[in-house]
Order: sequence, then structure tokens, then C-alpha cells
Amino acid sequence: MELPDDLDDYLRGASALSRQYRRESAPMPPHALDRSVLESARESARESARGKPRGGSHGKAPYLAPLAFAASVLLSVAMVLAIVFAPQAAKRVDEPPRVIRAAIRVERPSAPRLYSSDPLRARAPSVWLADIAALRRAGREREADAELRRFHRVYPNYVSDDLPMQR
Amino acid sequence: MELLDEDAGLMLRYRDGDVGAFSALYSRHKGPLYRYLLRQVRNAGAAADLFQEVWSRLVATRTRYEPRAKFATYLFHIAHNCAIDHFRRDSKRRTAIRPEDADGQAPEPEVPEHQRPDRVAEFVEQQSALLAALGRLPQEQREAFLLHEETGLTIEEIARVTDVPVETAKSRLRYAIRKLKVSMIPATVPDAGLLRTRAI
Repeated sequence: MELPDDLDDYLRGASALSRQYRRESAPMPPHALDRSVLESARESARESARGKPRGGSHGKAPYLAPLAFAASVLLSVAMVLAIVFAPQAAKRVDEPPRVIRAAIRVERPSAPRLYSSDPLRARAPSVWLADIAALRRAGREREADAELRRFHRVYPNYVSDDLPMQR
Repeated sequence: MELLDEDAGLMLRYRDGDVGAFSALYSRHKGPLYRYLLRQVRNAGAAADLFQEVWSRLVATRTRYEPRAKFATYLFHIAHNCAIDHFRRDSKRRTAIRPEDADGQAPEPEVPEHQRPDRVAEFVEQQSALLAALGRLPQEQREAFLLHEETGLTIEEIARVTDVPVETAKSRLRYAIRKLKVSMIPATVPDAGLLRTRAI
């Protein structure tokens, strides 16, 4: 038998099939089932009310989100400042490791210690005298005289023709 | 937020703790949902279990509810998933017990759980030719018909509930209607296969 394709008529809701279906019995869930479902829904709502603070649509206080954001920003800034100004931060990242630094120190010529009169740290006489001569050439006479007096205290018996004499 | 229907508003109120809103929602949908499940699984006990499971899932997931579609679409999508799970469990169980039935005799033809005589006896509602024909439909076609009749869902909404393309949902409904219409033709029409009703 050829049946017309009347899906559109059926979907409009007035077909004989729909009318016939609606005339059929319409069983409902047992009352015990109703009570069980409703009680379960009530209990769940009660548990939520006990467990969460009232406020937002999902039970969260509305001010918590901006507060949490501000706390995160403050924490981040504090960490950055700590990193930048911490003592170990003074170390340069491109600084060589400790063993290599020590080797470099040994190889590096020592800078003139013009004002040291410590016998233990005194320079060699020729170096010291050269430093004093350099001070005189630079016109720093008073410093040169003071340095020469220190030299004589450290090396009282030193005799040389090229002593940069006190003026 | 503009609500898609009044039921979505009730669900939002229940999400925020209004139990009265849930009661209203339940009253509106309990009949259609129960009949959908009963006529899908055709077993009163299983239908009751599934009915409770659907509402339990709705209650358990209410805090995540967002009204993206008509509420009935949301509810019956849960029901569809519960029914599919039921059919899978039922199928596995029948497959698992089959070897124990082997007693040297010829095996009985495969009969779905819901069509076994003891189960059919529970399904006392099936008395009319139309409901008998509905029961004989493939599950997918029966579901499409029930979703439209019980909830008024459109083809597009039925497709969304059952996770299939719109054309598939349309085709299922079209076949269901054709077959059910045949069941409404008086018995004088010589199509005994389609008109046979189950004696209870």
C-alpha cells in the first residue's frame, strides 16, 4: 500500500495519529516515586544551603573574585621586588663561576694601593716608589709626601738614588 | 539573561535553592517523562528505576545548569542517555547469561528482555493496536515519536536530544508515523504482520 508522506501534516499536530495517541491511557509515576524524587531534591537543596554561603548564583560571595585577583597582583609585585632587590640579585648572570673568578683575580695586575701603610700589605719598594713618583707628576704633592713617609716607616733602611724626594 | 522558556526559569530558581520551583518543574514533566521511559523500555520496574535516575542526575548537576536550550531538551537528553545505558546493560546481561542456558537443546530465538512473557505481563498498559505497534517499532523510531508526542519537541530538538543529525531524526519520525498509521487501519486490510497485537 502506498502511503502519502505526510510528516508535515503530522508535525502540525492535528493528525489522526496524534489524536489517537492522546486518547490512549496516560500512566503516571507511582506516588511513592513522586515522594522519593521530591524528597531527594529537597535534601540536596538543604545540603547545599548548609555547605555553601549564600550570595552569588553559584553560592560564592560576589566580592571574592576581585579580592582574589588583587591578592594575586600584590603577591606578584612583592615577589618581583624581592627578586630585584635581594642581595644575591647583585650577582650578574654573566659573571663567571667562582673558580674562574679566582683565577682571573690571580692573573689580574693589582691596582696601586697608594694609601696602604700596612707592612703586611706593603707593596714592593720599586712599585711603591713608582706610585709616589706618579703622584708627584700629577701635582699631588701632599699625598706624595705622606706616602713617602709611610714608605720610610715600612722600609726604614731603604736606600736608593731614585727616591722621589719630599719637597 | 533572556530565558528560553518558563521551565528554564524554574530550573534556575531550583539551582539557587528554591525547592518550590523544583516541585513545579516536576509536576509538569513527570507524566511525559514517565511515559517516555515506560514506552521506551517497556518494563514498569526498569522505567521506575530510570525515572528516578533521571531526576537524580538533574538534581546532582543543577549547579552547572545553564539555559542554553529549552528545558525539556535538557531533561530528555538526560533521559535518553539513561535509556541508552539501560539498553546496553540489558544487552550485556543477556549476552553474559546465554552460555549457561546451553543444555543441549536447540536455543530459543533471541527475545529482548522487555518482550519476555514474564516482563510483558508487567507492562499491563499495552492494550491498543496503536501501542502494540509502537512497541514493535525500532527503538530509535519509537523514541522520536514519543519525544514529539509527549513533549512537543521539534525535529531539531529531537535531533539534539538523541545526538543525531536533523535529517536522521526526521527520517526516524517519518518511518514511525508510516508504520503507526498502518496500525490504525481497520483489521480488514490484509496486512496481518503489522496489525498483529500481542495477547496479554
